[in-house]
Amino acid sequence: MFKRFRSLFRVLTRRRNFEDGMSEELRFHIEQWTDDLVRSGMSPGKAARLIRMELGSVDNIKADCREAFGVHLFDELRRQLSYAARLLRKTPGFTATALLTLAVCFGANLTIFAVIDSVLLRPLPFPESDRLMTIFNTYPKAGVDRDGSSLTNYYERRGHIPAFASLSIYSYGTEIIGEPGSTEREQTMRVSPDFFSTVGLGPLIGRTFTEEETTSQTDHVAILSDTFWRQRYNADPNVIGRQIRVNSVPRTVVGVLPPAFRFLSSDARLFLRLASRPEDRGPSRRHSGGNVIQMIARLKPGSTLTQAQSQVDAQNAALEVDDPQAKMIAEAGFRSLVVSLHADHVAAIRPTLLLLQAGAIALLLIGGVNLVNLLLIRASGRVKELAVRQALGASRGYVVSEVVVETTLLTLVGGLLGLAIGAGGIHLLGVLGADRLPLGSRIVFDARLALVALVAAIIMGIVFAVPIAWFNLRRHLGNALQSESRGGTSGHGAQILRHSFIVSQIALAFILLAGSGLLGLSLQRVMAVSPGFQSDHVLTGQILLPWANYSEAARLTFVESLMDKIGHLPGVLSAGVVNNVPFSGNSGKSAATAMGHVLRPGESARGHYSYGVGGDYFRVMGFSLRAGRFLTADDSRRSERVCVVDEDFARHYWPNASAIGQRLWDGSEAGKDAEAFTVVGIVGGAKQTGLTEDEAQGAIYYPYVFRISDSFFVAVRTSLPPESLGLTLQRVVRQIDPDIPVNDLRSMETRIADSLVARRSPALLAGLFSGIALLLTATGTYGVLSYAVAQRRREIGLRMALGAQPGEIRRQFFYLSLRLLIGGTILGVIGAWLTSQSMQAVLFHVPALNLAILAGAAFVMGVVSLAACLLPSQRAARISPMEALAEE
Amino acid sequence: MGKTAELLPGTLDMLILKAVSLKPLHGYGVLLRIRQISRDALEIPQGSLYPALYRLEHHDLIASEWGQSENNRRAKYYTLTPAGRRRLRDETAGWNRLASAIAVALNTTSEEV
Repeated sequence: MFKRFRSLFRVLTRRRNFEDGMSEELRFHIEQWTDDLVRSGMSPGKAARLIRMELGSVDNIKADCREAFGVHLFDELRRQLSYAARLLRKTPGFTATALLTLAVCFGANLTIFAVIDSVLLRPLPFPESDRLMTIFNTYPKAGVDRDGSSLTNYYERRGHIPAFASLSIYSYGTEIIGEPGSTEREQTMRVSPDFFSTVGLGPLIGRTFTEEETTSQTDHVAILSDTFWRQRYNADPNVIGRQIRVNSVPRTVVGVLPPAFRFLSSDARLFLRLASRPEDRGPSRRHSGGNVIQMIARLKPGSTLTQAQSQVDAQNAALEVDDPQAKMIAEAGFRSLVVSLHADHVAAIRPTLLLLQAGAIALLLIGGVNLVNLLLIRASGRVKELAVRQALGASRGYVVSEVVVETTLLTLVGGLLGLAIGAGGIHLLGVLGADRLPLGSRIVFDARLALVALVAAIIMGIVFAVPIAWFNLRRHLGNALQSESRGGTSGHGAQILRHSFIVSQIALAFILLAGSGLLGLSLQRVMAVSPGFQSDHVLTGQILLPWANYSEAARLTFVESLMDKIGHLPGVLSAGVVNNVPFSGNSGKSAATAMGHVLRPGESARGHYSYGVGGDYFRVMGFSLRAGRFLTADDSRRSERVCVVDEDFARHYWPNASAIGQRLWDGSEAGKDAEAFTVVGIVGGAKQTGLTEDEAQGAIYYPYVFRISDSFFVAVRTSLPPESLGLTLQRVVRQIDPDIPVNDLRSMETRIADSLVARRSPALLAGLFSGIALLLTATGTYGVLSYAVAQRRREIGLRMALGAQPGEIRRQFFYLSLRLLIGGTILGVIGAWLTSQSMQAVLFHVPALNLAILAGAAFVMGVVSLAACLLPSQRAARISPMEALAEE
Repeated sequence: MGKTAELLPGTLDMLILKAVSLKPLHGYGVLLRIRQISRDALEIPQGSLYPALYRLEHHDLIASEWGQSENNRRAKYYTLTPAGRRRLRDETAGWNRLASAIAVALNTTSEEV
């Protein structure tokens, strides 16, 4: 079989050689024969006549030879292709509609599939990446779903979980790199020495980190990413051993990573050691994760996730035995979950992407149904031609292959146009923020996608051909020859098929419409949620002060002089600092212990957002004061142990008394009396991670002096457009220290808008899809009804001649489309209800069955499809009996 | 031409294989050779020769190569491939079995029944 294909392939690639060879061979045959005959005494003329008689037509022999060689199939294909192309050119309106429909539907699907493929389907760029797991601590009953892992976890688990071949930890960060005066802030990762062996991809030049380089005294080494190496060191192969200043401390370059190295969505260009002090690795720090350090592990070949999970569970249980806090930890529902690294990284976006793909597929179905209906109508117009050809001997196989060639030609060209639209679609997604999705920067439009499009186009072509071929081969073709009507009769079956297509189309469009309505409503409800502060006119930016140059006292001085300088800027109303601004993208909760609070039965300890605030932070953000007073800049100077809590916190711990004057400790245990903080104010609750944040866990605000961190946010309330203050803010910071840049400069409104990108963009896309679906359904209904009118011209003419009023005719078609609409809407409501069930994961406070949405969708659907039927039924009512009857 | 016999269906391929098994031949040569080895008893339908050659080549039973004819003209020569040789052997054996079985059947006399 294979050999035969090969010989066929050979012939096809050298088709001219084949033809020339054949001609030459036959010519040689005839000449030899002539020579022989002449030599035996025959006259050349007689010889030629004899040969012509014996041999028959040379063209026939050639055709037989081609067939014997299997070449004829391709000639046939070419003939059918050019026939199909000619037919399509003859009906430009149909062809343009079909191609446009296909291009839009293919384009939408390819765009979404490109994202699904890059984000969900393609494995992470590491060897056997399906064995990479992440492990994180969760305390669900304390309101902490995700707390990362602690150093203690790492040192306790490393080498003690048999299912893991290797285990390591990492954290993300930013550092200031470079010589004084020309510093830049770079994304970095801090990793444990076994990190590179866990992911399975290490430095291309140089070495990885060693076990000795794990303390703050020995961690003066760095590994460069490929881009950093190329940009900063001009791809110098002798870079190993050179010094690089990180946060003003010189470090030695020990390795360069391969170009393809990219860990999840991180943009890290520099890899440093995750150094720690031995005292931070002890049992008392086991639950101090705070979502800063993350753990990954590689499963041993043959081991499963379930085994790993049970081993981790068993070890946790064994370790908690002598933990003084064991009871509290257990009550918080503590577990360490083992999850596939890839699945975990894309878990949040997965339902949205699948939903969008389902929407795109619905669109493709609607477009496909449209196209099949148009093709069926076209086929009805060619019934007679086909009947004649079949009577003249066209085989069933030939009729079918002709249809397949035509539909596949359409879908292939449509697919090509769809690729172009898809490429544009990816661009649009970029504008909508797709590259900010997890793994979003991997989204590409490549050969793999083009191949998928090609295969899909061919499959669609064959699928479309099925109903058309069925129609063409039906019995009625024989009758068509006798039938006097011009277009031939259209069977009842074909009519039912067309009508059920319209009904399913209306149903699908209805589902899309209702679905995008739900997404829109959900988005609207999210946006109506108050963040708990006044987000307008506030500019925020992050500042990182390296510990090496800034002692705690120097940090306080820095903040003081920054507040002073900013306060004197024109247009600034107030300024403050906070170690983590809302909507920063960082979220870590920590424990607090209220003095005198005894855990009620079934109540577990809670994680709270804990902030250190300086300057006029509360006034900048526009928090509402419920009782007592705000913290001010003075509180950081006086170092008096005071704090402000939000109303959720106050209500939880002191439900029956005023929180003012109550005392609490920072941490999960009661401490000395002198270390307790006194509540001096109660403020309204604020969202930290996003507007949809559900549980109000309560928050605590300490004076900045008690919560000094390496980085903090500066927040400025201004009467000017907040973004216009960015450069000024940058300049002020540089005046204090030329090495310090301001990072992540965004207004609070932008932060909130950015946090909604995963909701707004899908809602926009779904809206776009349902708009296209409506348009397709309208053209589909219009096309089928116009055809019905044209087909029944004579009947209508006759009825009108017998006295029927135009109004009756109009009503008849109106009722027909009303029936289709009602059928489609009923199916659509059922479908929309089922769809909204599966959409619950991405909806916010929207019930599965929303009557307003369903009614709205039904209304829009009704208006559009009745409008689509208006023109054809008008046309029917205006048929002149004389003309209609005279036509035949 | 009273002496010539009609070819049975399927026998042309066999004869072509036999003809080219003796020595490489061009198409016209195949025709002459079959006449010669059948002692002019078999007449090849002229129109079927080349389609048969192309079919056999497509099925890899014979191979072709351009060469020089006796009178120095470019001609396409056919040779037997190993697969063709096997096929010829099988068909010859099959044919012989069939022919002798039919001969026995046709020579049966009434006493032998």
